[in-house]
Formats: sequence, structure tokens, C-alpha cells
Amino acid sequence: MKSYIDLVTETIDLYAWVLIPISFAFMALMMLFVYVARIPIGYNIRNLIVRYRTTLLTAVAFTMVIGVLTFMMGFINGLKKLTKSSGNPENVIVLSQGATDEGISNLAFESMGDIAQQDGVVRFNDEPLSSREVYLVVSLPIAEPQPNSPTRRLLQMRGLYDPRSSAKVHGFELFPGGNWFSEAGVRSSDDPNKQPQVEVVLGEGIARGLGSDRSEATRRTAKNPESLEVGDTIQLDTRELLVTGIMKTEGTTFDSEVWAKQSVIGPLLGKSNYTTLVLRAKSKEDAQKLEDYFSGKDPTNAFEKSQVNAMTETNYFKSLSQTNLQLLVGTMVVAAVMAFGGVMGVMNTMFAAISQRVRDIGMLRLLGFSRWRILVSFLLESLLIALLGGLIGCLIGYLFNGYKVTSIVGSGNGPGGKAVVFRIVVDWGVLGIGLMLSMLMGFFGGLLPALSAMRFKPLESLRG
Amino acid sequence: MKFFMLIFKNLRRNLLRSILTSAGVMVLVFVITLIWSILGFLDVATSEKTSNFKGIVTEKWSIPSQMPFAYATTLENGAAREETDVKPMDSMTWQFFIGSTEKGKGFSLKTFVFAFCMEPRKMLTMMDELDSLQPGPRAELNEAIQKMEMNRQGIIIGQKRLAALEKKVGERIKIFGTNYRDLELECEIVGTLPLGRYDNNSFINRDYLNASLDAYKASKGKPHPLANKTMNLVWVKVPNKETFTKVSGQIDQSPMFTSPPVKIETASSGVSNFLAAYKDLLTIFRWILAPSIIATLTVVISNAISISVRERRKEMAILKVIGFQPNQIMFLVLGEAILLGVVAGSISSIGTYFFVNRVMGGIPFPIAFFSSFPVLDGALWWGAAIGFATSFAGSILPALSTRSIKVVDVFSKVA
Amino acid sequence: MTAKPIVRVSHVSRYFKRGSERVNVLNELDLEVPEGQFLALMGPSGSGKTTLLNLIAGLDTPSEGEIWVGDRCVSTMTEAQLARWRNEHVGFVFQFYHLLPVLSAFENVELPLLLLPLSAKKRREQVMTALELVGLNDRNSHLPSQLSGGQQQRVGIARAIVTDPTLIVADEPTGDLDAKSAHEILDLLGILQHSLNKTILMVTHDIRAARRADRIQHLDKGRLVDQPDEALYEAG
Repeated sequence: MKSYIDLVTETIDLYAWVLIPISFAFMALMMLFVYVARIPIGYNIRNLIVRYRTTLLTAVAFTMVIGVLTFMMGFINGLKKLTKSSGNPENVIVLSQGATDEGISNLAFESMGDIAQQDGVVRFNDEPLSSREVYLVVSLPIAEPQPNSPTRRLLQMRGLYDPRSSAKVHGFELFPGGNWFSEAGVRSSDDPNKQPQVEVVLGEGIARGLGSDRSEATRRTAKNPESLEVGDTIQLDTRELLVTGIMKTEGTTFDSEVWAKQSVIGPLLGKSNYTTLVLRAKSKEDAQKLEDYFSGKDPTNAFEKSQVNAMTETNYFKSLSQTNLQLLVGTMVVAAVMAFGGVMGVMNTMFAAISQRVRDIGMLRLLGFSRWRILVSFLLESLLIALLGGLIGCLIGYLFNGYKVTSIVGSGNGPGGKAVVFRIVVDWGVLGIGLMLSMLMGFFGGLLPALSAMRFKPLESLRG
Repeated sequence: MKFFMLIFKNLRRNLLRSILTSAGVMVLVFVITLIWSILGFLDVATSEKTSNFKGIVTEKWSIPSQMPFAYATTLENGAAREETDVKPMDSMTWQFFIGSTEKGKGFSLKTFVFAFCMEPRKMLTMMDELDSLQPGPRAELNEAIQKMEMNRQGIIIGQKRLAALEKKVGERIKIFGTNYRDLELECEIVGTLPLGRYDNNSFINRDYLNASLDAYKASKGKPHPLANKTMNLVWVKVPNKETFTKVSGQIDQSPMFTSPPVKIETASSGVSNFLAAYKDLLTIFRWILAPSIIATLTVVISNAISISVRERRKEMAILKVIGFQPNQIMFLVLGEAILLGVVAGSISSIGTYFFVNRVMGGIPFPIAFFSSFPVLDGALWWGAAIGFATSFAGSILPALSTRSIKVVDVFSKVA
Repeated sequence: MTAKPIVRVSHVSRYFKRGSERVNVLNELDLEVPEGQFLALMGPSGSGKTTLLNLIAGLDTPSEGEIWVGDRCVSTMTEAQLARWRNEHVGFVFQFYHLLPVLSAFENVELPLLLLPLSAKKRREQVMTALELVGLNDRNSHLPSQLSGGQQQRVGIARAIVTDPTLIVADEPTGDLDAKSAHEILDLLGILQHSLNKTILMVTHDIRAARRADRIQHLDKGRLVDQPDEALYEAG
């Protein structure tokens, strides 16, 4: 079931742009038919112009449907791109057995060394390159909540054993001017009565998010009104968090995370174990081997010291894309229903157009234009409306390209899952789907009326 | 009345167009009904109640919240220590038990069990939607609860889950824990719930879970890894905001809750904080999706009406010749559109209300911890309202244009 | 002037079913029209004159009998063959002109040519010739709504002759025109007949129009009659 859906979504991902040339090719084919049918295209276009109000109204209906569709698809696409680009196929993420989510994972200290010492893990300074992490979700009260908005923010924190190796495993760098937190993970204050500040490094997205939680007044005097900067602080209960760096995390789920020293925030937040161990394998193949080894796919060659659940990061993030699927299904239902409405609209238009032009049709038939030529001519007309409306709809959808939104990714229903910030991606594939749907709506909406036009008897039409 | 018949006849005359337009109205109203129901439900869930409101106690920092069961009694009393301290009116504890009826298998629809482990009696007083049952279903549930109190291995399973598990009331099931590793619960199904209420969930007596955890310790020699993290939430019911603030203060100041620390928030703010991650998505639903569907609807109706007005210009000119006032003709057109919009809209939203609530048992839209949403009672009039508004908006311009139809049009040849 | 018959109608009957009743519109009718003749068909309403015209023009097929136009038997052709044949061999002129309102005079006249394998240049030549013939070459870009009734009918005639058809059929071509315009249209038909040697079949109930033809054929109750019953005309 899952793999089938994967296959479909991946195919859509890779090949949906093909729908654009297909749509245009389809349109061109129709034009060719019209050319062969010898009914002047000008006849259809001028009729559309004469009935410009109906044409526009129908096209507007198409524009709305396609605009909403491309927008929603862009949203899902952005979410998908995010989960895709977050995973490094050479990384293996190790959680405790039974845990599919970092939130409920619990790794024993003792076993972590053993796990990392496997063949296939990259070595760095004679140590296996790995990242020991504790993933925590903190419900942070917003210091200066704006009216009518939440009073708390779910903050995703990641406590690290060693920030440098973690950064290397995940491949993140800091923006210039920033530093990783120190070995102690805290910075003493000059005021002896004050507790030391906890050093943290922020993802770009959360830096902006926390920045926007500040009140107007605070933002006006801040270093950067849009985002937190190095040197800014965050109040977490009685402790102050000091931002020492901002990571270049755009386009990944880590964008919404706050990183700190595990030995500081673990005890502070009541979670002393690690949740996650990420290993950097030498190659994709090695990563897959490690996944199989740890998860005991082959019972004769399986890791026995501790029962763990291991996945390549790519697979892990794929499992988080369940939310995408739910949204996709929802969007498809909405799109189908709106498309149906649009089809009803264009049918009305075309039936009316045809009933207005019964005499035209009769005359054309008398002059020797056969049934199929009439069919093609009227079908082209509804397709022209569809193309007009669809293209504008795609354009409107495209306006949202790159727009930043927040959502959540998760492995299904229930608490858990990660809040993420990402950009809406209206790419060629999305536009292709939009344009194709528009064409299909135009085709099906126009087919029935065109068939009815085709059946007119020339003489009766002239009398009518 | 005659006037109404004339409108009705006009709609019947171009039956095809009326059907196409109504079909368009119906499907679009259907989607709006679903969207508004979901949004409306979430609005209610996140809006602050003024009385009888509930507070949720959870672990202060970590999500999901996992607290020791030792906190239970104190929290249920609102951490009241002094004579002057206030106690909540009512309370309940939640422990989640997630499991499968087959050992070692992953999740599948046929084996999955999600159970609230709690004090059985509290189902009738504290659980949303179960606290407001009609007398009949309430008595039935009460009977099942009594069984569960007598036999702590009793389990109450929602109707859909029961059907998916292919079990009946009276049968026994074994549930292998997935969040509680190596813990098995053997339960007897003592009852079910009215359709539409917790269809996919189950309820187990909390005493049984706690006893099973004790038995685990006795047999394995060490406590279960989750033994000290078994309580996920505590709910307290307080009469008003003042009491809530007081209780909140008592809990904050209590020395008992240090490892882990806890927090209390109103149910609505708990929900809305949790939904914060969905904020953009819900904004899109509310301000982009629903309005564009309504706009599409208006356009479809407007198109249909302007077409029929254009086709009937001559006829309307004749009506004018025989003495109809411009306003009457305008109302004829408006009436036609509104009749169609209101009737089709009502059929759709009322049909959705009954079909989704009675047959489907809710809108399956898993978001946060909600798995499905009821179609709200408002749906009974939404369809008519949307139908009225969109058909009015869509037909007002074509209708106004009929006022300017000239009597001489009767004699023009080209329509 | 008379030559071999270009239209031969032999023993043609046409009846329709009206409920269980059979309505005979044409009864065993025989008619020959020589090439280059201008024939006016007259008769009261329901006499079958339009039905006869439709049968000859290939718009309808007879229930019994045969119709030949030139060397083709029209009555046995399939619908597709008829469509092709009409396009090449018959020009139609109607009472209400039936021009496509969104197309210019030029484009309306060009329509039948689009179905023929002609270059755009050749089409243009033919259209301009036809328009010149009807005296409207200066109005070729006008839409029908910008032309008077008489002018529209002339565009209709230009469209009828643009394929250089064997036969021109005209159904009440002056029925919707004032006397002066009607006169001009009939003049035009006369010119077509004389200078281009076109065979013209015209249905009319206007005796003045009919008098412009070479021959007047009266129909009554589905048969050709020699002398019309004057009373019938008053009723019709």
C-alpha cells in the first residue's frame, strides 16, 4: 500500500512537468483537428469574444479551481521537498526499538559506543563519525504574546554530545559571526547572583519564528526586527538561553530546531537519556547495510547488544511524510469536487452557446461540414476557455511560489511529529498538473454539449 | 403563489441547466460544509469557556507528557494543601495504552488498539461528548461501566474499532503493548459506545494497567521502563476562571512536582497551542479554500442565470408589454436563482449532515489528536445560507440587467 | 436555350409518420429541369414545395423513387457523400440569409471553400469574384449585422455561387426583403442564370418573384398541377 503510494507520488514528482508539454500538445492536436476540420478557428474565437461575459465567468471558475489546486499542491510539494532534502542517504538514524519517532525513543548510554563502532561508519579523528542527540519538545511560553494568538510555542530542542561532530554528520554550517556552544554549554554571567546562560544555536526558521514572537516595541529596538541574532536571549522558565550562532538549515526539518549541549538541557528538562544516534556511513550502500544489520533483517547477521530501530535518514523522513499523504488525499478530494463544479459551469456555458448557435450549426452542416467537424469545433471552444482560465489559475498559484508557511510532518495521527517551516514550491510539475486538470475539465465539460451539437439535423436547426 | 409557480416552471423549462447548476451547487456546498465543520469544531475546542471549564495538567517541558502515577492523587485534588485552598469539582487521569491484538506485528487496521486507561466512572462526567449523552445511551454506557468496575479487566471499545477487530461484546481480547513493551493486557469486552463517539478508541480501567505494571516488576525483578512515566495527562474541572487561576497557582507552588515539573493550562489553550503548528494550514482552509469555493459557486450560478436571462430577453420583453413591472421581472430572475441555490444548497448540506454523521461516523480528517470531526448542527442551515448568498450575489447583476430590457426587443429578430 | 435535363425526379414519393398516421407530402412526382433553367416552384403551404426542394438539394431522401442531378443519383447517397456532394454541387440561398453572425462577409462566403483543397490565394480570388458578382466587394470585411437585409442576402448568394455549383436552390429568397431589395436580388439571380448558365430552383409564394423565372411549376397536395387553384393562394 505504502510503496504503491510512494511509487505514484515519486512518479508524479519526477514526471509531472511532462504534463505541461502534453497539455500544449493536446491543445495543438485540437488545433490540428480544427485545421483539418476546416472550420475557421476565428469563428470559435470570435464567438468567445462576442459572448465575452459568459466566457470570462466560465474562465474565472476555472481560474479559481486551478489556482486553489496549484496552491495546495505547491504546499504539499514544499512539504515533500522538505522531508526529502532533510534526509541524507548516507546517514543512519538509530532509535530505541519500537520507536518510530524521536519523541518516544530512549537509548541507553552504554550501547551507543558499540553501535557507533560498526564497520561502514566513517571515521573522523580516529573516532566513528556520529551524532549523539536528545530530542525534546518544549512548550515555551511566549513572553509577550500578541492578542488572539497562541500563548505558547512548541519548541523543538536537540541536545548534543558534541556539536561539531553533529554539525559534520548533518552537514550544517553557521552563518558568519556565530559560534558553536562551548564544551560546558553555558556562559557565566557577570552578575554572580544570576544563573549562567545556556548557549544555544538556532535553525534559521526558528530564529525568525522566535523573532516574530516578540512584541512590536521589542522588535523596534532589536538588532534585527525579523529574526533573533547572535547575542539575543530567550527566557525558558528561570533560565536564559543565549544565542551563539544561527545555522544554515533552510529547506530541512532542522530549520525549526534549537540545538544545545545535551549535558545542560537534558537534566534541565528532565530527560537524561539520549533519544537518537545518527551515524555517517561511508556510502549509501553501507548505510542500507547498517539499517539492515541493526534492525535485524537477517537474523543470522544482526546486532544483538541492544535492541534498536535503525533507518537510513532518507527512510526515516519518508516515514514522516504520512502527513503529506493525508493532505494530498484531502486536496485531491477538494480538487475533484471543485473540478466537478467547474465542469458543470463550462457545460452550462457550452450548452447555452450551442443553443444560441443552432442556426450556425445547421448552416455549416448544409454547406457540407460533417458531424465530426462540428464536434471538434465546439470542443475546441470549451478547451480554449479551459486554457485561458487554467493558465491564469496556474499563474495565481505560481505567485505563491516561495511563500513561507509552517506545518507539521509526522508519521500519522496523534501527538508527535515535527513543526516545520518551509516554502511553497509551485514547480513545473505542479503547474503541469494544474494545466492538465484544466484541460480535462474543459474536455469533459465541452464533450457532452459538443456531442449534442453534432447530432443536430441541419434542416431542423435552420427552422428552429 | 402564481408568481412562485412561474419561477418554478422556468426552472423546469431548461431542466438540463437547472440540474447542472444544482449539481455544481451541491458538490461545492458539500465541501464547504466539511471545511466549516472542521474549522467550527476546532474553534469551539480552542475558545475559552466562561464556566465549567477544564484544565489539563501535563509535564512542563516534554512532549509527549509522561508523569509518575504518584502525582495522580495530588493533582486530582488540585494540589490543595491548606484549608483555604480550592479543589477541582471533578477530575480524571489518562494513561495511554497503545497495542496490537497480534504479537510482534506492526500496526494494522485490524489489530490496532488505542486505549484510554482511566477511572471508569469518569467517562460519564469528564469525557467530552460522553458527558452529554441522551438518557438511553447513557444508561447503556453506565451499565458497561459498572461491569468494568466489577471486573477491572473489562474494556469498552468504540463501534468502528470493535468492527475492525472483528469482535463482539462479551468476547475476550489480548492486547500486546507497543508503547508498553512486553506488557500484555487480557481484557473482556464489556460494552461499546454510541456511534460517533470515540469510534476508534477504547477504555480500560486504570487499576488494571497499574496492576499489570506491578506484576511486571514482580516477575522480571525490575520495574517496567515506563513504570515511572505512565500518566500522560490529568484533567481537572473547575467552576470558573478564578478557581482555575487559584488551582493553577497551587500546582505551580506545590513542592511535589519537581521531577518532572508539571504545568496546567486550560483545555482550550492546550488545544490551541498544540494546533499552532497547523495555524497556516487552517488559515489556508478558512481564508483561501472556503472563499474560493464560494466564489466558484457564485460564478457558476451567475453564469447559468446570465445565460438564461439572455435567452429569454424576448420573453421578458413580452412580459413587459403585457404589463409586468421591471421590478417584477427582476424578482422573477432573482427568485429563480435563489430558489435553485437554496434548495440545492439545503439538500447538500443537510444530506451531508445526516450521511456523514449517521453513516460515516464523522469526517475522517486526522489532524493533531483529532481523528474525525462531526458535521456541526450549523450544517442544517449553512446550505440554505450559502445557496442564498451565492445565488443572490451571482444573479443580482443579470437580474438588474432585465430592468433595462426594451419593449421594442420583442420585434428584433436576432436573439 | 433548353438542353439535357440536369435534374431528373422520377416517381418520387415522400411521406412522414405522424403518430400512426401516414402523411403523404409528395405523391409519385415526376419533374425534369434542363440545365440553365430558372424554375420557380409555387404552391400553398403544405403543398410539398419545400420538401421537393430539399430532396433535390440532397437535404432529405425520398421514401420512394429516384432523384438524379447531373450524372449522380442523389437519392441513394449516404449522409457523408451527400455532405460532400452538396458542398461542391449545390448553392443554397435562404429567406433569412443564415449568415454566421461572428464572421465577416468575406469569411461567410469563404466557408464552403474551406472544405475544398484550395490554396488560400485561390480561395481569396474566388471569394472576391463572387462578392464582385453580387456587387459587394467593397463590403467584404463587414459583419452581417453591419449590412442591410438586401446586402446580407447578396452575401448569401455569393456564398451559394462561390464553389461554382451545378445547382442553386433558393427558398423564399425575397421573403424577408422590401420590394426594392427583392427586385435587386431577383435581378441578380437572373444574371447568374444568363451569364453563368446556372440552374436555379426557387421556392416562392410571391407571384411577382415567380414571374422572373423561365418556368413556373405549381404544386398542390404533393402533385404537380398545371393550373393553380387561385383560392388556395389567398389562403396561403
